[in-house]
Amino acid sequence: MPAIETTGLTRRFDELVAVDALDLSVAEGEVFGFLGPNGAGKSTTINILLGFLDPSEGSATVLGHDATRDSRAVRRRIGLLPEGFAPYENLTGREHVRSAIETKDADDDPDELIARVGLDAEAARREAGGYSKGMTQRLALAIALVGDPDLLILDEPSSGLDPKGAKLLRNLVREEAADGTTVFFSSHVLGQVEQVCDRVGIMNEGRMTAVDTIDNLRTRIDAESVVEADVETVPDTESIAAVEGVREVTTLPGRVRIACTTPAAKMPALRALDSAATVTDIAIEDASLEALFEEYTGDSDADAPETAAAETAAPASGGDAA
Amino acid sequence: MSLYTVARDDFTNARRSFVVLGVIGVFTLMVALIVGLDSGHHPDLYRALFDVSFFLFLVFPIIIAPLAYLSITGDRSSGAITFSMGLPNSRAEYVFGKLLSRLGVALAAVLVGMAVALAIAFATYTNAPDLVRFGKFTLITLLFSFSFIGIFVGISATTANRSRAMLGVFGAYFLLVPFWFGFLPVVGLPALLNTASDLLGVTISESTTGLIRSLSPATSYLFGTEMVYSGVVDSYPMIQQNFGETPDKFYMRFWFNSLVMFVWGAGSMLVGYLSFRRSELG
Repeated sequence: MPAIETTGLTRRFDELVAVDALDLSVAEGEVFGFLGPNGAGKSTTINILLGFLDPSEGSATVLGHDATRDSRAVRRRIGLLPEGFAPYENLTGREHVRSAIETKDADDDPDELIARVGLDAEAARREAGGYSKGMTQRLALAIALVGDPDLLILDEPSSGLDPKGAKLLRNLVREEAADGTTVFFSSHVLGQVEQVCDRVGIMNEGRMTAVDTIDNLRTRIDAESVVEADVETVPDTESIAAVEGVREVTTLPGRVRIACTTPAAKMPALRALDSAATVTDIAIEDASLEALFEEYTGDSDADAPETAAAETAAPASGGDAA
Repeated sequence: MSLYTVARDDFTNARRSFVVLGVIGVFTLMVALIVGLDSGHHPDLYRALFDVSFFLFLVFPIIIAPLAYLSITGDRSSGAITFSMGLPNSRAEYVFGKLLSRLGVALAAVLVGMAVALAIAFATYTNAPDLVRFGKFTLITLLFSFSFIGIFVGISATTANRSRAMLGVFGAYFLLVPFWFGFLPVVGLPALLNTASDLLGVTISESTTGLIRSLSPATSYLFGTEMVYSGVVDSYPMIQQNFGETPDKFYMRFWFNSLVMFVWGAGSMLVGYLSFRRSELG
């Protein structure tokens, strides 16, 4: 049974389609990175999983419970770090953790959880209204960990965390995952999830544009590289574009850029260029995971590699909500 | 015990801000002031309670409005609601936990204020205060605070928008207090009833008007205080004028007035809860 499963999940806000026919399956024990730029529909999806929002169409189950009808059963078994967590201003951090333990009927030691997220014991006894963004985020993390949840839903957990906090977060996610906990980790920054996630899903404009393992993404990235050559005169590029493994050839004055999808395509492409023009210099750059992310979330949808596992066959226009 | 946890957290959070101290302080100060000043004019505490009741009828809902109107709306607009609702609390536990906490503060304000008033009365009044009358007055004032806390928290449960909550609370106050009682000339329910009867060419009896007026929790509070003056109605012209001619009307009986106040408080909470149960968060 998957930890999270959505079927044709759609949510509209008047004219806006925030989530568009989303089919998502997160396996138990998996660390899933839920990626996408702000406004992609990530938080709307999470709010539906929590029962805060109702779907317009489709359904979502979390740990086998219907997210809309059986929200309380869901919330009993998950740990949540909500986006933009706001504590009760005049309650201490420790009081928040204690209340979460009470509500979940858990037997955690609040001080242990507070220490685990690196919140200063003295700070935990101060009112949370005075906390910095990073401290608030650590407190939210401590609350999420209460009751040893089967599923951790972390909505933008790294926002406000300094590098030390981000590292602590990654370690915590690894520890929890090693313990069998499923982790659903949303972020708009790829760098924060690539080190801990087994798989990532990239969401853009309400649709899942790619779901793959980090390893596969890496393989794809390793393969993708750009050969940039300075030439005396820009030649006709048709013969280069015809080389197998060349995805795209673009030209600038005195320069040719050849994007290759396999490493073996580079030399044949260069030979084709060499026979068409006088090459004065070459440089080869590898595309980064970051560049791929941008490709999936940018405006140039048509440029996305064909190999992308598009999760949805929904029509491109989403603005026709009745 | 999620209801208890929600209520305790909310109460602790409010206690450490100025709102609890403010509400209890202002209430106590006002009641003490009236009771204290009246001691120079009247020998009996119950005559001062008459003044207190009229003052509370007009002002108490305004004193407790800041305590209640953001109880749920505030959490929703700040995002703090994701703390409680991200935990396995039901919507009912959340809403009624909030009610319990805010109601607790209002009841505490009444009890503290009345205790101080009683202490002042023992020290300054010519005639010793009648504890039965005083107890009845305190009881009906507690009910009055329940009705308005219920109305205000109920309104707060229906909206995530601060200004809309404020508008709702003051709208409810205007409707239920000055308008319903007929405190303002022309813009009032009694005047409206007169106009309607003139237009329709029918006469509305005084007892029908009285019954309709008593259907507001605030008017019912005033009418219900009739029981405080049983047997002494004629001793002061002011009391005689208000309660002298209508001793047998059921809408000036405690059972009826307490029912009206209870139904308003509980009914508003029910409506608020039903709305909140269906509403979307975030």
